Amino acid sequence: MKLQLEHPADEIKRLRRYINDLVSLQALPAMWSGAKPGDIVPTLLDSLLRMLDLDFVYVALTNLVDAGPSETVRVAQSQGQMFRPRELCAFLNRRLGVDPQKLHLQERSHIGDEEVSLVSWPLGVQREIGVIVAGSRRADFPRDTEALLLSLAANQALTGLQQARLLGEQKRVADELDRSVAQRTAELAAANEGLRKEVAERRRAEDALRRSEAFLAEGQRLGRIGSLSWRVETDEITWSEELYRIFGFERDVPVTLDLIGTRVHPEDIPLLHDMVEKARGAVGDFEYEHRLLMPNDSVKYLHLIAHGIRDNDGRLEYIGAVQDVTQRQSSEEALARAGSELARVARVTSLATLTASIAHEVNQPLSGIVTNAGTCLRMLAMEPPNVDGARETARRTIRDGNRASDVITRLRALFSRKDTIAERVDLNDAAREVGALSLSELQRDRVILRCELADDLPLVTGDRVQLQQVILNLLRNGSDAMNTVHDRPRELLIRTARDEGDRALLSVKDAGTGFDAESMDKLFQAFYTTKHDGMGIGLSISRSIIEQHDGRLWATLNDGPGATFSFSIPCAPNT
Amino acid sequence: MDSFQEKVAGEYPLVAVVDDDESVRESLPDLLRQFGFATRSFSSAEEFLASDSLIQSGCLILDIAMPGMSGFDLQRELQLRGHSIPIIFISAHKDEVVRRRAFRQGAVEFLFKPFSDTALLQALNTALRAR
Repeated sequence: MKLQLEHPADEIKRLRRYINDLVSLQALPAMWSGAKPGDIVPTLLDSLLRMLDLDFVYVALTNLVDAGPSETVRVAQSQGQMFRPRELCAFLNRRLGVDPQKLHLQERSHIGDEEVSLVSWPLGVQREIGVIVAGSRRADFPRDTEALLLSLAANQALTGLQQARLLGEQKRVADELDRSVAQRTAELAAANEGLRKEVAERRRAEDALRRSEAFLAEGQRLGRIGSLSWRVETDEITWSEELYRIFGFERDVPVTLDLIGTRVHPEDIPLLHDMVEKARGAVGDFEYEHRLLMPNDSVKYLHLIAHGIRDNDGRLEYIGAVQDVTQRQSSEEALARAGSELARVARVTSLATLTASIAHEVNQPLSGIVTNAGTCLRMLAMEPPNVDGARETARRTIRDGNRASDVITRLRALFSRKDTIAERVDLNDAAREVGALSLSELQRDRVILRCELADDLPLVTGDRVQLQQVILNLLRNGSDAMNTVHDRPRELLIRTARDEGDRALLSVKDAGTGFDAESMDKLFQAFYTTKHDGMGIGLSISRSIIEQHDGRLWATLNDGPGATFSFSIPCAPNT
Repeated sequence: MDSFQEKVAGEYPLVAVVDDDESVRESLPDLLRQFGFATRSFSSAEEFLASDSLIQSGCLILDIAMPGMSGFDLQRELQLRGHSIPIIFISAHKDEVVRRRAFRQGAVEFLFKPFSDTALLQALNTALRAR
């Protein structure tokens, strides 16, 4: 800058003013600290108008953060009539355009009727922030100091605006951040609330479940009932807590059929195998009673009921309940013992009554015979013998002998039964019925009953009830014969078949103790028995019934253990 | 001769027989007479009670099971009336319970039918000694 000292006093004054203006401009950024661009522009324009002798000053801002492009124009008060802001803006817009070459404009232009000196400074190297334009009608505008002040002001404005822009950006980001934090917080709170409700709901459900499980467990404990599921395909077995208690296993032991086998009473193992085999074979319901032998040698009686179902994939599963019926069993056994004792007593009693009445009937004439015979001998031993008396007593002896014989004849007539009912009987049905009736008794005695009933069995003619008595008798005999068997399954097999010569055959095979070959003949005699509590009349009655049906009843020893009793009777006509 | 006749000779005690069975009523008196006793037989307890043998009898041979009054009924009736006739019970029912009951109620002897003549004689000996 070249200083011309023509009027030193004026010059000093001007320079002082110039320095003051420089200081003011330097102070602007401090004023603008934290302000928005919209606040910066008016103070900048006011400062420039005040410092320089301008007719108008104009700022266009682009690319602002918190507002769109804007134009602001300040016209010196004295020139208000001459430069209308709207016209100025339109003019300058046209003049400045977007041409990068016009970053620095300095020219004389005509605005309306006036000739004006225009000077522009870009805000930002590429005018990216905007542009400042100052206008004065003075031809010497801008002077050196003015140009300096304008460029400084432009720089200050740029700095302020950039800071404001940065601040705005930061604020925007912060706001954005705040907003998304708030939104996320709200979302989280909502999710939290949902979760809390869900947890509460779940806890309620769990409580209800726990309560219901407790009820079930308590009920199972009181009733000594355990429940189980058995997936047959995988042999996956699930037990309820009570079932572990019944079997005396720890809760965490995996349940397998083998494990169950270790607790099942050795004599009931065949029963278990039989049950498993049947259950694997077909879907259905089954019911079994078997025993457990506990480690302390006590015996438990279990009653199992299971229901078979197939799932959607056709896999077989049994759902079942097991009840410890030891107490019930003991009382039932006591009852059964009492019952059978009673029956035995009744049988023995009636037999005793029968025997007694037979004895009484026979003893009366026998008494006469013995007395008469004694008298007779005494009369003959007299000196001389009383022959007439002896003859009379001998005569009476004969008469009493005949009376005794009559008594026997009467008794025989009393016990012979002739009224057999003749009807068509299906021995298969008859056998099935007897089997069903005897099942619980057989199960109690650990006997497994199997049936092999011929499909083509012809009907027979006879008394169904009597024939069933025979079958029942054979079953009981077979079962009794296995009472002492502990080393093999107690198996009874009922078999029917068409026999030679239009006859139907039914046999009952046991695995019992069998009989001596030499006692074969005695088996069917009345009052012959190998049982300590038997009367020995079952087989003799059975044989007489079969013989009344024109059939025959016989016994054979099995190749293995036990014996087979069979009867064969003629078929009914036309079958 | 039998020991009894030596002991009771000259007394000829009357032995009464009460039994509903005809063969006993026919055969027993003959044997008793062979032993030397006078004897009378009755087919029921009621008949015996109504007769004068009630007072005269030195011994009573009594069946247990009879229609109407049983042997036990007659035994009780005699005790009630103050007659202490020794009683030999006879029965075709071989029942020890009945036998023990008879002894408990004061029977002297108890014979199951049929019984031998010597068993009867022994019983009569016991009965008449108890008189």
